[in-house]
Amino acid sequence: MSRYQLGEFEEIVMLTVGILHKEAYGVAIIDEIEHRLNRKVSIGALQTVLRRLESKGYLNSEFGEATNVRGGKRKRYFSLTSLGSRILRETQEQRAELFKAIPRVAFPKS
Amino acid sequence: MSQFPNIQPPRFFLRLFRWFCDPALAEDIEGDLREMFQREAASGKILQARLQFSINTLRLFRPGIIKKFGRQSSFTHSSPMFKNYFITSTRSLLRSKGFSMINIIGLAVGLATFSLISMYVYHELSFDRYHKNADRIFRIVENLRTENELLLQSTSSPPMGPRLLKDFPEVENYVRFHKSRLLAQRNNISFYEPNCYLADSTVFDIFSFNLIKGDKKTALREPFSIVLTESMAKKYFGDEDPVGQTIKMDYDHYKVTGIMEDVPENSHFGFSNLISFSTWSRNNKGGEESGWFWNGFHTYLLLQDAQSAEPVRAKMKDFIQRNIEKGGMYYEDLPLQPLTSIYMATQRSWENGTRGSMSNIYILSIIAVFILLIACFNYINLATARASRRLKEVGLRKSLGALRRMLVVQFLGESIIVAFLAALLAVLLTWIALPAFSTLVESPLSFSILPNPWIMAGVAFGLILLIGVLAGAYPAFIISGFQPLQIFRPSMKGIYSHHNFRKFLVSIQFVISITLVAGTLLVYDQLELVQNQDLGFNKDAILVVPTNRDTTIVKHFDAFKNELKRVNGVLAVAGSSTVPGQSTNNLYTEIEMTDGKMSPTNINYIFLDHDFVTTYDIKLLAGRNFLHENKADDTTAFIINETGMKDFGWAPEQAIGKKVRLDGHEGRIIGVVKDFNYRSFHTKVEPLMMVLTKGIGRISIRIADNDLPATVSLVQKKWNELIPYLPFDYSFLDVDFDHQYKADQQLGKVASIFTGLAIFIGCLGLLGLTSFVVERRTKEIGIRKVLGASVTSVVMLIAREFIWLIVIALVVATPLTWYLIQEWEQNFTLQAVINPLRFLMAGLSVFMFAWLTISLLSFRAAAANPTKALRTE
Repeated sequence: MSRYQLGEFEEIVMLTVGILHKEAYGVAIIDEIEHRLNRKVSIGALQTVLRRLESKGYLNSEFGEATNVRGGKRKRYFSLTSLGSRILRETQEQRAELFKAIPRVAFPKS
Repeated sequence: MSQFPNIQPPRFFLRLFRWFCDPALAEDIEGDLREMFQREAASGKILQARLQFSINTLRLFRPGIIKKFGRQSSFTHSSPMFKNYFITSTRSLLRSKGFSMINIIGLAVGLATFSLISMYVYHELSFDRYHKNADRIFRIVENLRTENELLLQSTSSPPMGPRLLKDFPEVENYVRFHKSRLLAQRNNISFYEPNCYLADSTVFDIFSFNLIKGDKKTALREPFSIVLTESMAKKYFGDEDPVGQTIKMDYDHYKVTGIMEDVPENSHFGFSNLISFSTWSRNNKGGEESGWFWNGFHTYLLLQDAQSAEPVRAKMKDFIQRNIEKGGMYYEDLPLQPLTSIYMATQRSWENGTRGSMSNIYILSIIAVFILLIACFNYINLATARASRRLKEVGLRKSLGALRRMLVVQFLGESIIVAFLAALLAVLLTWIALPAFSTLVESPLSFSILPNPWIMAGVAFGLILLIGVLAGAYPAFIISGFQPLQIFRPSMKGIYSHHNFRKFLVSIQFVISITLVAGTLLVYDQLELVQNQDLGFNKDAILVVPTNRDTTIVKHFDAFKNELKRVNGVLAVAGSSTVPGQSTNNLYTEIEMTDGKMSPTNINYIFLDHDFVTTYDIKLLAGRNFLHENKADDTTAFIINETGMKDFGWAPEQAIGKKVRLDGHEGRIIGVVKDFNYRSFHTKVEPLMMVLTKGIGRISIRIADNDLPATVSLVQKKWNELIPYLPFDYSFLDVDFDHQYKADQQLGKVASIFTGLAIFIGCLGLLGLTSFVVERRTKEIGIRKVLGASVTSVVMLIAREFIWLIVIALVVATPLTWYLIQEWEQNFTLQAVINPLRFLMAGLSVFMFAWLTISLLSFRAAAANPTKALRTE
């Protein structure tokens, strides 16, 4: 299991890609993260993570149609691979188990 | 968005991004960047949008996004491939250790030679550049037009500096120097100081001499002030503080007012002390104001800037006319010499200090480049010759898809590796050879004279790369050019066709070697000639002892001479102001011309006693020598030399009785002597006058040459008895005289050593080449032997190729050397005839070395058992 350690930012990016489903390209992901988590993300940071995740096989990507808006440059749409989905799920389960294991005393209900 | 379709993101950052970004990622990321930019721009905040775009672009500059530099051009040039090149290169270097050694040693010796000579050249060219005002300092020199000739002098007269300062706004300051040799005394320490300079107090404002103690404004203001250099201070004062103390120079006491650092060695003149010019001025008021013809001084001007020299030069004619009275001899011109050019400039009369020689610099640089070329040619030759052994490797690489470009890179890399190894060895060699070389050229070279080490490292690195590429380019392109099919096909025709190119390079090596050998031989011929030439006087076995006009000697001169003559082995004793090989006095004189008019001129003078002419074996052409008997008459008599006589247009007998006026006294010419070379053969014999004097500055003692050391010690004993306080600071006239050829002798020595090295490197290459030829023809030799060939015929077979090359090289080298040597001999007034035999000797000696090298290897091959040769596969 330990091979599939996801970084915190990686996890967020993968979740966002999942949320955007079919519409996940650079600017859209940045907007989504900013909107949902109120968190500024630079293109540089995002792109590095996207490529890393892709090279690990967690994400897939394909070019979309060219549009005028982007100076004729195509968008690259990212999507979760099945491996990526499994990793996300496993990560979430790990977190949940850890969460459950916290003794009540140390974690008073709010 | 579509409202602002024309707004473009910052061009520069866009280009930057496209440059650094991995092309695989570029498209969609650029799209993202643009989209964000346009969105922001659409909301009206264009400036902010541009700023944001720039920041975003810069933040993309991170690993993972930027492309992989250096190996993007082709996937095969990945690092494992380079590693493979490195391995195969190292292996092939190690496999043929002999070849590699020859290459590396040859290149290393070449590089070491090159760097030694470069250091020397750098040092020679660095003269006087350390002065802060170097580009603004100019020396005033004179072109004097006399009745018959143009005299080029380095000196100027005392009023010139002050008057130039007054007349020209461009002249900011001036300093005058006058050199003399004084006897310095303090307590019991006494030595002759040959380089004592009178100097104006402005010297420290103009030159960057470093005054350690004392005030540079006032140190040389008062009469009888002296500034000592550190080494002179140490010599006479030890650890005491000399400032405020006195030192005796000749007959006067001087107050030490300052201590300065020693004059840097790369200065065109040097001194051990500076004496205030006012010391001289107070006794020579008239001379300082109007002694326009008193040319015993060196004047340096500080101009406002380097460009001011032009306007000053333009106004010089007018300046001369306004200030200097006219006469038969007049100042044709007063040129300005830039300070930094003086050391290398053509010598003028009465130079201060030593001078370099630009032609020597050129010759040495040429030698350095030649040697480096020879070493590079070795590499090219051996590498192309060895190409056959690498062919299989090349063929395989090509079959597996290697591009030509990649092979070129591989082979260039290999030669650069060799160059680097050679450079490492060269540094070691240079370091070892430097002390010896620096003694040889008599200049204090060390690694410390070099500029900033980073610049040096850069230059060295560049040089190594250049050599690596230069030497490796040809083999790299040749080897990589073969078609794989050609390589693997049994007939290998076409592969060895670079034989002619190799021959061409080898013959150039021979040309260079022969040129160097013949050149060196001819340089020695010339030196031999000028040193053994009849000078018109006998320079052998003459001791010269300075007395600096010691009053006791002057008073009792005849008795003193007689005492010395009584010493066993002393043949003759004479006194004079100066001796041949040393500077003479150049004085303003009026001479009666054929038409009876008195014509002014400047003439060289030697002041002497009755015995000088006989002691030096100078021949009389007409008239008579000074006679003891009629003293009263001869004190105003003159003896002129042959050139002077001819210059004034006289026949020998006509000269006798002509009136001469010197310094207000009038006399007549009583004799004409045959020309004798009172200076070296670098300058022609100028007119000379000889006059009797009592002010003896030097004593010349001719001794029997059968037992010089014994006689010298006897004379010394006598000397110490007679005048114990005067140091017996003797030297041999011939040694001093030949010292004038110091630069030429150095050139000869240096050239012969480097010639040896050039031949050595050349032979190394030849050795490699022969061994290659022998190896390739092993079978052929074996078969020939089986069929009955003798060892000699086999050796001849191999050597024949090279012998022709030497003959051709000799033909090419002869005119080249002839021309070069003829140019060089223009430095002398007397030129040796170029001896054609020298070329033959050079050719023969190069041939000898080449033959030895070749036969060494080919003999081994020829003498080997043929069955062995035929069995090898």
